[in-house]
Amino acid sequence: MRSFGSQRFTSYLFLAPYGLSFLVFIVAPILVALSLAFTQLDLTSRVPSHLVGLDNFSEALHDPYFGQAAVATLRFTILIVPSLIVLAFGLAIGLQAMSFGRNAVRGLIFLPGMFNVVVASLIWRWFYDGEFGLFNFLLKKVGLPHAPWLSDKSWAMPSIVAMSLWWGLGGATIILFAALQQVPTHLYEAAMLDGATSRGLFANITLPQVRPVLLFVVVTSTIGGFQLFGQSFILTSGGPERSTTGLVMLIYDTAFHKYRLGYASAISWLLFAMIAAFVLLQFFGLRRSVD
Amino acid sequence: MLAGLKAISNGAASSAKLHLNFWNGWTGPDGVAMLDVIREFNRENPDIEVSMQRMDWDTYYNKLMVSAMSHRGPEVFVIHASSLPRMVRAGFVADVSDLYGSKFGINKSDFEPKVLAPVQYGSKTVGLPLDVHPQGLYCDVDLFKKAGLTNPDGTIRPPRTGEEFIRDIKATQEIAANGDHDVWGFCWTMWRFNFMSLAPQFNGRYFDQNGNPDLANPGNVAALSFMGDLMNRQKLIPTPESSTGWTGFRQKKVAMVLEGVYMVGDLKTLDDFHPAAASVPQIGPNPGTLADSHCLCLRADLTGKEREAAERFVAFLSQHSIAWAKAGQVPARISIRSSPEFEALPIQYAFSKEVPFVSFPPKTPLLFEMTQEIDLAVEKVLRGRATAKEALDVANQNFTQVVLRDRQENAR
Amino acid sequence: MALVALVFLAPVILMLLTSFKTSGEVLNPSTIIPHPWSLAGYAKVLKYSEESPMGLWLLNSLLVSTSVTFLVLLFSSMSAFAIARLRVKGAGKIITLIVVSMMIPGQLFLIPVYLILNWLRWLDTPLALIVPATAGGFGVFMLTQFMKSIPPSLEEAAVIDGCGLWRIYWEICLPLVAPAMATLGIFTFIGSWNDFLGPLVYMDSVRSYTLPVGIALYQSSYVSEYSLTLAASALGTAPLIVVFIILQKQIVASMATSGLKD
Repeated sequence: MRSFGSQRFTSYLFLAPYGLSFLVFIVAPILVALSLAFTQLDLTSRVPSHLVGLDNFSEALHDPYFGQAAVATLRFTILIVPSLIVLAFGLAIGLQAMSFGRNAVRGLIFLPGMFNVVVASLIWRWFYDGEFGLFNFLLKKVGLPHAPWLSDKSWAMPSIVAMSLWWGLGGATIILFAALQQVPTHLYEAAMLDGATSRGLFANITLPQVRPVLLFVVVTSTIGGFQLFGQSFILTSGGPERSTTGLVMLIYDTAFHKYRLGYASAISWLLFAMIAAFVLLQFFGLRRSVD
Repeated sequence: MLAGLKAISNGAASSAKLHLNFWNGWTGPDGVAMLDVIREFNRENPDIEVSMQRMDWDTYYNKLMVSAMSHRGPEVFVIHASSLPRMVRAGFVADVSDLYGSKFGINKSDFEPKVLAPVQYGSKTVGLPLDVHPQGLYCDVDLFKKAGLTNPDGTIRPPRTGEEFIRDIKATQEIAANGDHDVWGFCWTMWRFNFMSLAPQFNGRYFDQNGNPDLANPGNVAALSFMGDLMNRQKLIPTPESSTGWTGFRQKKVAMVLEGVYMVGDLKTLDDFHPAAASVPQIGPNPGTLADSHCLCLRADLTGKEREAAERFVAFLSQHSIAWAKAGQVPARISIRSSPEFEALPIQYAFSKEVPFVSFPPKTPLLFEMTQEIDLAVEKVLRGRATAKEALDVANQNFTQVVLRDRQENAR
Repeated sequence: MALVALVFLAPVILMLLTSFKTSGEVLNPSTIIPHPWSLAGYAKVLKYSEESPMGLWLLNSLLVSTSVTFLVLLFSSMSAFAIARLRVKGAGKIITLIVVSMMIPGQLFLIPVYLILNWLRWLDTPLALIVPATAGGFGVFMLTQFMKSIPPSLEEAAVIDGCGLWRIYWEICLPLVAPAMATLGIFTFIGSWNDFLGPLVYMDSVRSYTLPVGIALYQSSYVSEYSLTLAASALGTAPLIVVFIILQKQIVASMATSGLKD
């Protein structure tokens, strides 16, 4: 499988269609966006756009709202990624252990993910509502006091995480389940003949086999976590007191309400740097059988 | 489906007509009312075809800006008076001074000066106000009657002063045996709007005479302190959750709310809920409330026949603004407000009485940044985490930074 | 596990039931079962008007989403094959570049892509929604990782038999990752279906909208008309559920024939 000699050219042909699309719709816009970060481009300004060097980046690093949004973004990501992975893996294993009804259960777990983020968030906003929401209504019925789901700073982000888990677990579970299904059963059979325990099977066969896909799920959910926007936009409008305003919401406000495209671009690149740092750590952590 | 195909083929056949695109953010029943007016215009003007596109205001403004920048924008569009400064600075809004005058019979004297002020930029006039939408007081008739707050003729008596307001809150609220409120007298709706409705009553303002930010002036502090006091000390208002006020009001769990006249559209969807409307109670030394306005605008690069057709369309909308009023708005034109048809719309008519003393948001291109700071300040006070003075001082400091940066950038 | 499934299902059932409530009752938590039942929300949504062509939107969504899914499955699997199985030179760098591109916030692309589409004259055509969607790295990354888990023995046999690259890809590699392909297909379809910002910004006329965007027209700016929104969302999501059920059967069928479980 190492060298195909004269077929090397054909090998590259396999990459061609995607490569073209990638160049035109990813690379080109990135280059534009990169240059934007070094300009002052304000759509509603009297002054034409001009290069400002690192001014946008320095403004961001001195902007308290940037710092606050960065913290909120990190908080969300750190809360959701581990819980998503652990729960999804657990659900996938649970699915594998089921002997009947498996398809139905898998479908039900995935069902919430089919709704777009706006609809899903609207429903949970009603659940979480302080005065007229379903959860507090149920709490009152069993004699407990109202909970400040979205109105208290220490409750708001966890509430958003809970809703995001309900919405996103299906996707991660399905992928991990597919990976589990792909593990060749003869590996398990051979090990069991050797007298392996179920924990041993898990650690020595399952984990290594699904490691590439696990890495994929960790990386993609991290990237997704950093890009928190829809849920907090609908559930809390970024509150209380901007505590659930993530960097993407900041970028959205800057680009689409203040029309400061250059500054928004700089914030986006700083966000990118944060994501890259995190993902690099994850790659080194889970590296082994990836390449 | 069939009608859809028919519409496509009609579209192809009518390419001989002059086609105008009209964009706005009226996604609710008010948009449906506007559709009827457009249909009538298309019927009466067979050489023009207007088609409307609507989406939520946030996305609408983005799309308007993006398309205008690449010259694909609509010919006619709506801009809130409060958003005009930013859009005008972007440069795609036309001077429509010749919409006024004998050409279409629309005279500037038919508008109050403060209603025209947002569309005047020096010698240029950049839009035609279609309506004025103030914030006012909605009252639940049944809860008022239950509390005995009625006139001899059976109609309810809404509060007109600060004392009456507090008294009525206490009269209409219903507290159960365990201390829970079954009914609240009053509840916030959109905090910022509530604040900006009260601030003018205390002579509050946002910029001083030199154009510098003045968010922490005594008037604003007084208004915000009143709100905080009502909430945290007197405990007459439930814990703040934005926009729940209206929900509670619909469910008859809240007796009074401050909201805009445009909520009439939502009320129409409820079968037997007919609240009364009144001016915002005068809690400060003066009467006052917040208002905004929908202004009809044209694209700056329109010429010749297109421009003429667009002008005809806008004038038509203005002349037919009674239909718009029925959808839940207060027409901008004095003559139309004085018509018996308008006076027959109870809620709209009650709101129109406020027009003499409404305050528009300040005419600044940085309104979004300003309102973000105000939102934060109001939230802090309502949650009891800062006094009004402290919160507004911080807001003013932050906003001043924004203003200075903007001035520096635009001075080049 | 069945209890777990209930946790996921319950809010959806609530949503469905609430969509049948009358406008006044919608936000009242004490009544879960609608009383009375009202089809008002659905009626409003389905009532055809020139301005809200539900049928057209549905067709647009189907056209766009199926095209995107097909193209993404094809392009991604070909690329993953080259990277993971053929081990082309520079494969490591390529996959790194792709993953890096996924880390860049999507907002950054909106306006540059708009300008490019404008220059290509693709705005307000289905191409604007289909082609840019094929550039995403999710599919390539996912299939690459799945293909890395396959033992190379089967392909080596084919090479010895003298098979060309395309045959190896089509007849051996693809069936081995069929479950992953079906999963990617579902994800891509749903992502494309629910894409909101794209159609809104790249399409000018109401007729070109996709279903979710059209449905958003029913959200009044001032107040959430919940029953209307929920009815519209239920109708807008139903096709997705149908597609999922169909593809689910494929996953089960293909796993049985994938030749891995023996």
